[in-house]
Amino acid sequence: MPDTAQWDGRTYYGRAQLKPAPFNNALVGSYVFLAGLSGAAQVLATALDYAAISDAEPVVRHGRLLSLLAPIIGTVCLICDLHTPKRFYNMLRLVKTTSPMSLGSWALVAFSGASAISAAPLLVRAGWRQDSAVAGWLQGLSRVARIPAALAGGVLATYTASLFSATSAPLWAAGAKGLAVRFAAASVASAASALRLVARSGRRRRDLDSLAVAGLAIELGATLASDHAQQQAGVRQTPSSRDIAGVAVPLVLFLASDFLPRRAQAISQVAAAAALTGSLLMRIGVIKDGEQSAAQPNVSLRLAQPDNLPRR
Amino acid sequence: MDLHPRTPAHSQSDLEALIPDEAELTAGVVVRPGRSYGFFTDTTLCIGCKACEVACKEWNNLPAETPALTGHSYDNTGALSASTWRHVRFVEDDVRADSQSPFQSGWLMMSDVCKHCHNAPCLEACPTGALFRTEFDTVVVQQDICNGCGYCVPACPFGVVDISTLDGKAHKCTLCYDRLKGGLEPACAKSCPTDSIQFGEVSELQQRARERLDHLHHIGRGSAYLYGAPGELGATGGLEHLNAFFLLTAEPEAYNLPRAPTRPANRVVPSLAAGLTTLAGLMVTALALFARRS
Repeated sequence: MPDTAQWDGRTYYGRAQLKPAPFNNALVGSYVFLAGLSGAAQVLATALDYAAISDAEPVVRHGRLLSLLAPIIGTVCLICDLHTPKRFYNMLRLVKTTSPMSLGSWALVAFSGASAISAAPLLVRAGWRQDSAVAGWLQGLSRVARIPAALAGGVLATYTASLFSATSAPLWAAGAKGLAVRFAAASVASAASALRLVARSGRRRRDLDSLAVAGLAIELGATLASDHAQQQAGVRQTPSSRDIAGVAVPLVLFLASDFLPRRAQAISQVAAAAALTGSLLMRIGVIKDGEQSAAQPNVSLRLAQPDNLPRR
Repeated sequence: MDLHPRTPAHSQSDLEALIPDEAELTAGVVVRPGRSYGFFTDTTLCIGCKACEVACKEWNNLPAETPALTGHSYDNTGALSASTWRHVRFVEDDVRADSQSPFQSGWLMMSDVCKHCHNAPCLEACPTGALFRTEFDTVVVQQDICNGCGYCVPACPFGVVDISTLDGKAHKCTLCYDRLKGGLEPACAKSCPTDSIQFGEVSELQQRARERLDHLHHIGRGSAYLYGAPGELGATGGLEHLNAFFLLTAEPEAYNLPRAPTRPANRVVPSLAAGLTTLAGLMVTALALFARRS
């Protein structure tokens, strides 16, 4: 019985023990990024709306408009990633609580509907018939849709981490909580950065900068923590310098803007763009790393050692 | 081997119809819906003939792989895939060691297959319900529903499920769902000349496996152990048992099997909770930041 014997590192001719996810990393990564950005933007918009904070109204408006990115572009990315795209509607055959992909599909549908309704008066205002009965009616509907939109947005901004963690791919499965915190914080940081780039009020820009800094700081901490958890589990040798740099660079730029008041606006804009780029690349990188780890038997067999079993 | 009393009635080679409950004649099992069926693969009996691989491909109309030599002993199949649902592994264990007694090779063979897990990670991950648990307690992909999202592929802790590039759907062993419906033994088990692959009711097979294990230990094969039976290696971390389980004699890793696999769905709630808590915390921070300058 090899119960207590420690694994000597032997593999089966070095052949993969798991199959890597057959995802298109750019498509799925883009979706995860947009879902995070849109979801967090919608939650922030509704929170600011209900808190009735004075002159935050432009941020609320931009948040509701940004929340349309995931429904419009993200959904297309997801359908294109299917290997049988014409059957995309089968995602809504049932609700399965053990499958984050099932929960996420429903969250995306709910979010798309509620976000579209919540943003409808804005689209009307931007377009046609400003004070018609239809506009008033849409305004009422929009108020009703805000809370469901924010709730679905919260799920949309976070469930993608559990989608990856609820697999057997070593780098997704090890350090599940750390990945969830990273994704949630990155979602908020990217929403704040995107809102900051379109904001016109200097005061709200500074608030959004501060929120982006808070998100990036938490993401950096969670990146270090999940790296540590993966090292403890024996599936990672060195910290991921790429992921750390992707967070540290925009964070340093945001902080630097405080010390250079004359160039603050320009530096903050670069920082926000860097945060958005970093967030997108982080998602794609995490997906790629997970797939590569699944193809390495010495990594997957290491994670599947008894010392990594969850403690009861 | 004793013949079943019903066997002489079906001696003709050209059959006009299915033999009723044929599995009773070939495996001693009557296949009925509502019972739990699986495989017990006893690797100490495997001779590496690959009859199971061929029978599986023949019955299930699976395309051949591109023929090539891998250089990995006699294993030129390589891995389970969308078009290979039985795969015989060849492990050359200390073949040249002097300590081995004459005529005792350290050549281990093992016919791998989908484990039809309880709880099945692929089934739990499938967002469309294409993967389902059948009336025979096996796990099957419904080809008319699968949309090829590919989420079952990384979910599987054993690297079994695969997406076919030919049709864009997930494929894996069905435990011969169609044959079970017709009362037949699965093709691989029926073709196995040494009964290394045994088909039957899971509880019956587990009992038989324990007796076989006791026998092997009794005759001095202390290295033998069960993989995937309840409470054994392979049935860990939320996987209660594997309907297709194994008797092995080397470490699980030698056969490319995870020693202590876990149930991926157990990570859903902790992950969602951590993510939502972080989001809520940052939203409170946002409100505080915005209110400060109001």
